[in-house]
Amino acid sequence: MLGNLSGVRVLDLTHEPGFFAGKLLGDMGADVVKVEPPGGDPARRRGPFWGGVDDGNRSIVWLALNTSKRAITLDWTQPAGRDALLALAAQADVVLETERPGVLAAAGLGWAALHARNPRLIVVSITPWGQTGPHAQWRGSDLTVIAASGNLHCTGDPDRAPVRCSLPVSYYHGSLEACVGVAFALVSRERTGRGQHLDVALHDAMVMPNIATASMSKMTGNRGQRAGAFFRQSKSVQREIWPCKDGFVSFALRGGPARVPGLVKMVQYMDENGMASEALKTKDWKAYNHNLLTQAEVDALSAEFGAFFKTKTMTEIFDRACKENLMIAPAITAREIAASKQLAAREFFIDVPYPDGTSLRQPGAFALTTAKDGVTTPIRVQRAAPRLGEHTDEVLRERGFSSDQITTLRAAGVLG
Amino acid sequence: MSNIFDDLTILEFGGGAAGPVATRYFADHGATVIRVESKQRPDFLRLLKFVPGLAGGLDAAEHFGVLNANKRSVAINMANPRGIEVAKRLALWADCIAENFAPGAMKKWGLDYATLVKERPDLVMISTCLNGQTGPERFYPGFGGQGSALSGFNHLTGWPDREPVGPYGTITDSLSPRYAAFLLASALWRRTRTGEGQYIDLSQVEGGIVCLSESLLGFAANGEVLERMGNRSRHAAPHGLFRCRDHADGRERWLALAIHDDTDWATLVDFLGRPAWAVAPALATVDGRQAQVDQLETELSAYTRTQDHRDLALRLQSAGLDAAAVNDLGDLHADGQLLHRGHFGLVDHAVLGRHPAERHAIRFSETDPVLHKAAPLLGEDTEYVLRERLQMSASEYQSLLDDGVLQ
Repeated sequence: MLGNLSGVRVLDLTHEPGFFAGKLLGDMGADVVKVEPPGGDPARRRGPFWGGVDDGNRSIVWLALNTSKRAITLDWTQPAGRDALLALAAQADVVLETERPGVLAAAGLGWAALHARNPRLIVVSITPWGQTGPHAQWRGSDLTVIAASGNLHCTGDPDRAPVRCSLPVSYYHGSLEACVGVAFALVSRERTGRGQHLDVALHDAMVMPNIATASMSKMTGNRGQRAGAFFRQSKSVQREIWPCKDGFVSFALRGGPARVPGLVKMVQYMDENGMASEALKTKDWKAYNHNLLTQAEVDALSAEFGAFFKTKTMTEIFDRACKENLMIAPAITAREIAASKQLAAREFFIDVPYPDGTSLRQPGAFALTTAKDGVTTPIRVQRAAPRLGEHTDEVLRERGFSSDQITTLRAAGVLG
Repeated sequence: MSNIFDDLTILEFGGGAAGPVATRYFADHGATVIRVESKQRPDFLRLLKFVPGLAGGLDAAEHFGVLNANKRSVAINMANPRGIEVAKRLALWADCIAENFAPGAMKKWGLDYATLVKERPDLVMISTCLNGQTGPERFYPGFGGQGSALSGFNHLTGWPDREPVGPYGTITDSLSPRYAAFLLASALWRRTRTGEGQYIDLSQVEGGIVCLSESLLGFAANGEVLERMGNRSRHAAPHGLFRCRDHADGRERWLALAIHDDTDWATLVDFLGRPAWAVAPALATVDGRQAQVDQLETELSAYTRTQDHRDLALRLQSAGLDAAAVNDLGDLHADGQLLHRGHFGLVDHAVLGRHPAERHAIRFSETDPVLHKAAPLLGEDTEYVLRERLQMSASEYQSLLDDGVLQ
């Protein structure tokens, strides 16, 4: 069976902020062709590299985020290259791009030109700030768009600067947003026969992750504060990330019908280890409401839970959590994720073959899909990230370029 | 105005952010999204700040109000067999179903895909729970805080010498709805072309891990475990936040600055007026700057501490550098770019009053997202949906009311 997007042709002109979008479309079955300048995308030469070898085809970020794509090299800043790209766009459903607003238009490849050439084409522009507006021409990257989104202000310890994730979270959010746009525009095209231009801003995309609190600041006056490993309730500050014997676990003292049964079982767990006080064991959890706790009550509870967690490893705690439905989770690293029993049972990791005969274990499907007869419409890594220019001739021939045309383009330096 | 999903009806079970934010995308483009709720087991967002005697009760929750604008609510007591029967009729009538309960909840009611598809062969349905519908840890219960921990985001966010903190807002709660909207729309598109339905099992943890593929691949390829590194980058320096002049009311103000390459550095040195500490030849290369990054950050901070963060960001951008003022949540409502893009709109809510809600980050050339109504009160649309959409008879509706099924 084919993926949901099989038959959708995508030209992927993106740099790093948009890599993930093309990957997701490709994993869903779309035919994604990465279009790079003749020297290759700069991310190909950015370490770390697989085995430490910097040969343009082994950068980890490249290999991770460009699966399920073929790659061509094409210099669209030259007139002959622009014409070739227009010819490819005439046969495509989607173009993904991350250039600064106006750059493609100046090269004769803006929305107007592409739409005129192929009215069914969907063009997705992913930029830090958007196509128009006072900041449209600003530079931007993960750090600066998250800074401007309110999300950074609220992340980190109160006594230090706001702090980000080691990997560019805004690029993942923005790329996912672009994929939502592509799917919506495909549905729209079924009704109208026309493609649309989608203008995705990473800055906007990072406001939603504040989970309603950006809008709420106007209602409550709360401009957000960093709480580090803690969470601010109305009357108290409560710990959310706790040290355990060999690392950290995420656990909240919050109540409600979904959480209280887990709190009760956590106290049982502590009691089995002789670490639950009489006060904790006899607590009326039915009446428990985390919003009513004073800071002194929170501190007393935290002292008991915190002391217990320090006697257990992340693995011990998580094994018990899975067995007894305790709402507590270890802050795990790539090493533990790679060894997860749950992920193994769902065959999440796959061995992706590479041209030299080796393979790498990579994350696979981001969801499992089935039809009524149990047949799957698989989401999967279709192929390893492409080598530089690996499919230039193959794709151009497939899209109707003659051998003579390809030779001419190559002689002119358009194909590198 | 006609929009993409004007003819689409989505039935939604569940709560929080991970499920409901996904269907908001469709509601903002014309879909009728009907939440099945109950007073017995309210959405936990309706309870997040709830205390007995709260004015407005379950309808006073701001989180719920912001995230569920444009939707409708039907109150059904699922503990009553007649309630389950009504829910099933809605499920077979709607165009698709979205749910984010723990695995097994829908099956207990006979509302799981395997049961429904027998009567509705082209059903499109998505389930979004923490660990997916299969596997030994499928019943493991968790919210976004646990999802963020299990997918590896917590470990990667914070300072190397301190405990992990995780990105603000429990990130799997914001990544998952984007995956879900993408998956659901692609399944609907496929159905328009093939007539076939689909069941989608989205694990929030797996979605998060796919985002962090770079970290997983670094481990698979080289055995490297990526760590927290504050705001620093392996490829650029300086790359971080620099404290500026405090706000008049004492609030801290910060500037984000990313010097991506040696050309950027040369521009910055000129911008600063070529101070003695910055012109050292050793700093002309990224390796040289990385080697002295502590000192470099100290020197830069001494400069920024006297500057207004917003004015400085503007001047750095004018010089061609990648800089931005750190906005707090209140600042967002005065941000010129967000205002230009109409990120926030206003809706009128019976309990919360007129309040902002957000649109997503995609602007369409023909069919922009539209905010047209506030989030529903619990059960606000029960009569409309059952009587006018499902065309239930007046006598049956009355008898359900009398039996206490619709609450």
